[in-house]
Amino acid sequence: MEDVQVVAMLVRRCIAGDSAAWEEIVQTYHRRIYNICYRFAGSGDDAQDLTQEVFIKMYRTLSSYDHTKGAFVTWVTTITRNLLVDHFRKTKQDRMTDSMDTPASEHEDAQPLSEQIPDHSAAADARVRSREVSETVHAALARLSPELREAVILRDLQDMDYREIAAVLKVPEGTVKSRINRGRAELARLLQRTYRQVM
Amino acid sequence: MPDHTSNGMQCNEFDVLLTDALDGVLSGTGLDRFQAHARSCATCGPLLAEAEAGRSWLKGLSEVEPPVNLVMNILASTSGIDTQRLRVTTRSAQPHISWWERTQASLLEPIWATVRQPRFAMSFGMAFFALSVVLTVAGVRPADLRQVSLRPSAIRHAYYSTQAHVVHYYENVRIVYEVESRVRELKRNVAPAEPGRRESRPAPKKDDKNDTTQQPEQKQERNYSQTNSNLILASAHRGPFLNGFNACDLPVVSVSTYRRLV
Repeated sequence: MEDVQVVAMLVRRCIAGDSAAWEEIVQTYHRRIYNICYRFAGSGDDAQDLTQEVFIKMYRTLSSYDHTKGAFVTWVTTITRNLLVDHFRKTKQDRMTDSMDTPASEHEDAQPLSEQIPDHSAAADARVRSREVSETVHAALARLSPELREAVILRDLQDMDYREIAAVLKVPEGTVKSRINRGRAELARLLQRTYRQVM
Repeated sequence: MPDHTSNGMQCNEFDVLLTDALDGVLSGTGLDRFQAHARSCATCGPLLAEAEAGRSWLKGLSEVEPPVNLVMNILASTSGIDTQRLRVTTRSAQPHISWWERTQASLLEPIWATVRQPRFAMSFGMAFFALSVVLTVAGVRPADLRQVSLRPSAIRHAYYSTQAHVVHYYENVRIVYEVESRVRELKRNVAPAEPGRRESRPAPKKDDKNDTTQQPEQKQERNYSQTNSNLILASAHRGPFLNGFNACDLPVVSVSTYRRLV
């Protein structure tokens, strides 16, 4: 995924004060971090703020990165995940008041999730490709528990391998696989239940 | 997950192999045992279907596009630098303007527009003229400014020297001198009209050398314009040239002198 030596050199240049190196890091990783934040936080505005916070923390702690201990992308994802967990804890009270009948994100135009499920009978692949379905899945993903959500995001949306995810989440690989399985199953059940309500 | 054994596989083992099965890395007898357990276990069978469906839903989610200004905001909040992309965008969107043109447009152009007005030019000319006159009268020459010393003692010296120069110049102006003389003359003419003033004043003691109270008044009496015509008879010694004349034959010359009253 990344050339360790190239990234290590980039980080060294950045620590030495090379602004172009820092800009290259930002250009390379901002899309990935924004997507993780967006899928986890569920809101574009929150994702933008969190992405900036991640890079601010990266900029301040860049000298603590040791390329012998792991890939740079793992280090970056760990920072992102820690900030997301902190953000979740801060907004936990707000989330507890949410329900399936309240809109989850700004893309859903105040429509309850139960009303956004498309009108049945199309194949799963075809439905997933449509924008409305994507937003529905995004809303359902936001209702998973944070442990399951972060596991499926890193695996199914960021294509990280289990070892990297285990390093980021600081849990064994078996636990990572179990969380991924339960997260996928929970998401499917959530969507099926919602689908049945529409029916 | 319950620890249930079916077809030689426990549910915990099924859970561990589930991700490998969905990733397509499970094969051979392991895959056969996995599939057999899924068919026979009431818990793991639905789990396989739900996990597969959930994975399918998640894979259908596409990557979202970050906001356009995200990179710019990140760089501004971290290193505070501008981005190459932003510079390129700005450069392509706007025509190239040099720093001199920007300075000219923002700073010099308003000043030049004011300077070009006739009333400002007239005011500036008058101010320059007045300054030149003042400098000339004060004896300041631009060529001397380079040699001006800024030491405190030198500045003090320059101040007193300039002050003395100005006072000297003022006292030597003819009209000032004449006006002062007239004023003193008027005072002197007015003074006899106040008889009680001198009479009531006690006579100064001659031996009182320290009494300086009368000095200003005496100085006031010192008037160069005051004239006392005293008749002086000019006489000549009887010398060899006058031996043939009588004393009464000597000419009497009347000379009117201007004496200073001390």
